[in-house]
Amino acid sequence: MPQFFFALSLIGLVLILAAVWQASTPTWKTYQRDFHQLEAQGEPNSLAKAAALATPPVIHQVLLTGLQRVDRCTTCHLGVDDPTMKNAAQPFRFHPNLAPHTPAKFGCTICHGGQGLATDKANAHGRVPFWQEPLLPKDYIRASCGRCHKEGEVPGVPELTEGRRLFETQGCRGCHKLNGVGGSIGPDLTEEGASRRFPEWLERHFLTPSAVSPSSPMPNFNFTKEQARALTYYMLSLTSEEMGTYYSSVRLIPSASYGRELFVEKNCIACHNIGGVGAKNGPDLLGVTKQHSTGWLDEQLVNPELVYPGSIMPAYDLATNARKAIVAYMASATPDDAQLILSQRAKPLTPQDAAIEAGKQNFSRFGCVGCHGLQLQGGVPNPNSQGGEVPSLLHASDDYTKEEVITIIRNGKVPPTENTAKPAPPLYMPSWKSVLSDEDINRIADYLWSLQKKKDGW
Amino acid sequence: MNPIQDLWQSIVRRDPLSTDKGKSELVFLNVWLHIHPAKVKRENLKLKHTWYLGFITFFLFLILVTTGVALMFYYRPNAPQAYQDVKDLQFVVFLGPFLRNMHRWAAHGMVISVFFHMCRVFYTGSYKRPRQFNWMIGVFLFLVTLGLSFTGYLLPWDQLAFWAITVGTNIGSYAPLVGKQLRELLLGGHSVGEAALLRFYVLHVAVLPGVMVLLTMVHFWRVRKDGGLSRPVWKLEPEKAEKLVTIGAPEAPAPLSVALASKDKTYGLMEVVTGKPIFETVTAEEEEDTTFSYPYAFFREAVALMATVTGVMAISLFWNAPLEELANPAKTPNPAKAPWYFLGLQELVSHSALLGGVVVPALAVLALLAVPYLDTNPSRRPADRKWANRAFTIFVVVNVVLIVVGTFFRGPGWALVAPWTHISGAE
Repeated sequence: MPQFFFALSLIGLVLILAAVWQASTPTWKTYQRDFHQLEAQGEPNSLAKAAALATPPVIHQVLLTGLQRVDRCTTCHLGVDDPTMKNAAQPFRFHPNLAPHTPAKFGCTICHGGQGLATDKANAHGRVPFWQEPLLPKDYIRASCGRCHKEGEVPGVPELTEGRRLFETQGCRGCHKLNGVGGSIGPDLTEEGASRRFPEWLERHFLTPSAVSPSSPMPNFNFTKEQARALTYYMLSLTSEEMGTYYSSVRLIPSASYGRELFVEKNCIACHNIGGVGAKNGPDLLGVTKQHSTGWLDEQLVNPELVYPGSIMPAYDLATNARKAIVAYMASATPDDAQLILSQRAKPLTPQDAAIEAGKQNFSRFGCVGCHGLQLQGGVPNPNSQGGEVPSLLHASDDYTKEEVITIIRNGKVPPTENTAKPAPPLYMPSWKSVLSDEDINRIADYLWSLQKKKDGW
Repeated sequence: MNPIQDLWQSIVRRDPLSTDKGKSELVFLNVWLHIHPAKVKRENLKLKHTWYLGFITFFLFLILVTTGVALMFYYRPNAPQAYQDVKDLQFVVFLGPFLRNMHRWAAHGMVISVFFHMCRVFYTGSYKRPRQFNWMIGVFLFLVTLGLSFTGYLLPWDQLAFWAITVGTNIGSYAPLVGKQLRELLLGGHSVGEAALLRFYVLHVAVLPGVMVLLTMVHFWRVRKDGGLSRPVWKLEPEKAEKLVTIGAPEAPAPLSVALASKDKTYGLMEVVTGKPIFETVTAEEEEDTTFSYPYAFFREAVALMATVTGVMAISLFWNAPLEELANPAKTPNPAKAPWYFLGLQELVSHSALLGGVVVPALAVLALLAVPYLDTNPSRRPADRKWANRAFTIFVVVNVVLIVVGTFFRGPGWALVAPWTHISGAE
């Protein structure tokens, strides 16, 4: 027995030593030694050389409480903020053009993805099972800007603005929910960027949905390569992850030029005027920022009816930054600028424009265009429905009364099938009464009828 | 006398170990060793009698306490820091992964070794008079082991933990009348959340280990008081077996009352009280077969200890404990599985919630507890108890088959799949 005991004790000792050896020789220590040797090479002074070589191995980490992250990437990537390392081999290479997004304030993973807590390459780069955010391929890293810069233009990333614009104008919300608004035929996209795992998949999906997801009812929108890339960027930026005030406040810097863009886009001048230039349905906006507090104006833009019961101004569902930007624009708006805006409008103003504009807003905001088309032409394939595609709305008044159309919007409609033996058509008109108020629905009907009349006139 | 010698002798107050007196004093003057008898039966030391499963279980528990306390230094039981702490153990704590691996694998090992220990005790009929109650204690120890493993399962706060506990506690909620309330009491809410994490933590590091220690003390005490380990079955001659098991039976007179001139010796009453002994006695012939615990028993136990420790260390060097992504209540894995030792239960539940989740397991536990009282056959020889052994074998096989099916053959939607089927979406 004693011989067994001693043999096993010896084995135990060896195992303990093996564990200690395993724990004391992580690869990051090798990297640090290599880096310090590299540093020492560049030092002319022999004292500094010795000091560089004698630097003890230590884990570097950036605690990012605001981002709820701890990034230890700089344990190996020791040269990110050292310009002399700009030609060094990875993992030591200098990261150019970082300011103002310094590693000390932003870490690495918020933009690059990967696993900040890890201290070995495979885990840190996140290409391991059970990690949802592997390193983003180079082409997609800039999509991460949209995680903090959620609104307005991001300098150097036009893809994000374009992606957002496409999302809001191509009717994606007809099938997809984003932040609680939208249809439920497709998946909710609110957290689409939470795991940035498959950017290439997303891009191929936008080019040809059926190529990567054969059973998907998503129609092929025939996006160009650039549009697919833009939408992919936008998707990768979508997350409800909380960013600390320092990071999210970037969205709250009001920009008058963005406000002007919105002022034009939302057609405010259809009702309002600036110093008498524009329509007279709504109040003059010149000097409005001096008459009211910023908070009051903000509330007015959130829900006009709450501030002025009975106000005919529609609620525009503007994001915080958008509202601030509009207020910022109002502070600087001049009658001359209003004249410029008026002159650039394609069509002249009519009194009903405001209501119709609101209906048009609803029509694109709630995603009707996703199936019925930007020009209401319909035509999205819907196999086994009568006609085989989503109906055009251009001739709605020929087949329905306005009341019937309102009922269909309220309650939804399953398209009649062509062949009962085949599977039901994948697309159907959802019921909107829980999403849209009666007033919103009426406005959409008004908008549709406004187009019918125009057609009659031709 | 020099002070060093004085100090030594004040600590070790026994005769030299070369003498028989010294060997006995080593045992009964030492608080840690006196749970052993000074002398043990030679045949009880044989590996193939007990396979040292009880010891292995106990040693695994010691490993778990040691590594568990070390892990506690690095762990905060709140979400989501708990997950980050486990990640830190994995990535920055010196020997952290090794510690966590040892804790994880020793925990799984303990569930297995307790079960094997129970099988050994059953097949040797060692739960019979006078050891019936110790068998019941053993069943409770088995349940506490499962409880410890289950509560520990949640602590890493990853997807695996979150959903295993969600499924596991859902199984419990099928109990009629009290099921829902019990689940709420355990979780501190209607679903697994921060409250549940704290409760499981407290149960895991304080309550259940406390219960475990207390029950283990009773279990060990009873082993001694019931006359030491049961004799190996192969030592039992037919008529001897008869005689032995009738000792202390209320209806049977004691073959020899304990008296000073008795040929028999007892371990309990120190030959000053007369009356029936309630434990197995050792006759003079058997006395010949005994040997001093030191060194024979102690070395063997030490070998079992070292084998257990090195085994767990070797496994921990090469296999990492699982850690999936952060717990996400919004993202249910398909299939969501309970910890492996409850997969037999989950398999039963998939066929009938009430029957499989409540009736069958409750009856199984009750049956296990009642085994010594249902099995009135006094003989411990396998030839005399074929039906008992067959019934128990069926119980074991059914358990193992259900767990294997639940673990390897169940895919998305709990559909039957081959174990090698690739499940898309799973890692």
